[in-house]
Amino acid sequence: MECPVPNCQEREPTALGRKLSRLRPWLQTGFLGIWLAPVGRWLHGIPGCVFHCYSCPLSSFACPVGVAANYAALLPAAFEVPYLLIGLLLVVGAVSGSLVCGWACPFGFLQDLLGKITRRKVALPGWVGYTRYAVLVGLVVLLPMILGFKGIPFENQAVSICRLCPAGALEAGVPYSVQSVLAGKGWVMSWFKTGILLSFLAAALFIHRPWCRIFCPLGGFLSLFNRLSLFHLRFNPRECVECNLCRSRCSMGVKVDQQVNVSGCIRCLECTTCGAIEPCFALPQNTPVEERQK
Amino acid sequence: MFKRVPQPPVNPALRDVERHDFWPGFAAALAGVIVAFCGARHLTGVDTVGGSTAWEIQLVKAFSSGGVQYASQIAPPPPPKLDDPAAEAEALDRWAKQQANATPPKWKVRVDTDAKTPCPT
Repeated sequence: MECPVPNCQEREPTALGRKLSRLRPWLQTGFLGIWLAPVGRWLHGIPGCVFHCYSCPLSSFACPVGVAANYAALLPAAFEVPYLLIGLLLVVGAVSGSLVCGWACPFGFLQDLLGKITRRKVALPGWVGYTRYAVLVGLVVLLPMILGFKGIPFENQAVSICRLCPAGALEAGVPYSVQSVLAGKGWVMSWFKTGILLSFLAAALFIHRPWCRIFCPLGGFLSLFNRLSLFHLRFNPRECVECNLCRSRCSMGVKVDQQVNVSGCIRCLECTTCGAIEPCFALPQNTPVEERQK
Repeated sequence: MFKRVPQPPVNPALRDVERHDFWPGFAAALAGVIVAFCGARHLTGVDTVGGSTAWEIQLVKAFSSGGVQYASQIAPPPPPKLDDPAAEAEALDRWAKQQANATPPKWKVRVDTDAKTPCPT
């Protein structure tokens, strides 16, 4: 398809966009020091804000998805509300939206790295993002609760988010299986889960961030805040020269040329390279009264 | 030069600037801080193995370390096995009476704060 935008090839990325683009992998690496800190094992009582298995030998925080599923399974025995989890996710979502997905999530970082191996990528339709909410409601809340009412504790549930999770397979299943193999006891992770992990790794080569786009319940939840979060992206029509760079840089398939603070966005900020989309932070004096009334 | 993805023509003048107001985000963040603070100080309705009430942090930690115990999963003590058949029959009878008189535990679920099973699932 020939691009109908006339000056499509002329504009170069802005200095800020280039700087952010270079900074992101380094910050993602830096955040690994927080999520994979062996000295932080005592923080397992606090849910983290990224997708990272708490069974990983190096994990410092609890997995928010695993905690939510455990609470759901606990419901028949004890009605407990995960205040800490809800509060932390509310704070992170309200302040930054899905910024943590693009800049802090270790599993997202892994997918970014895998995606760099191959250049050819499969484009996914936008509606696949809604399956994240089906996973959130079905696998994280309803299924553990239903099986819990049948008297099956979360640990014994044959189908659960933790049994299917490729992050758990990679971060916990593989280390413990390798340890077991070295001790002469064989591969402990189930072959089904191993297959899920291998399928996911293969998919990440040809689809940009497949887990984040199709399945991640945490990313789905945080992205709900993209429309109201204090940190957000703002479109500046005076800077837009219709160069098409914003949409070209977006690897998540967001139609950046139409709207940017949407649920499919992980806020990697690559679209800011065009200069017309600016990262900004909402402040009380930022919005003039007349503009708010518009 | 970055490879451009073809896109339909856009009209920047017609597009929403997507400016965010401060107050909805601030209110949600403030609510989150309050809820998280309450969660950190929250005593759950679940007991620990030691008999005290578990903090929410202890409950979350128990999820990751296999520390959640269900009453339905507590297995009764195994029947006694002795070398002397007569003594074994007597012990078995005593064990059966104990099992018949045993009252079910008052708790449905409790937390073992010392559990360290690395990967419960």
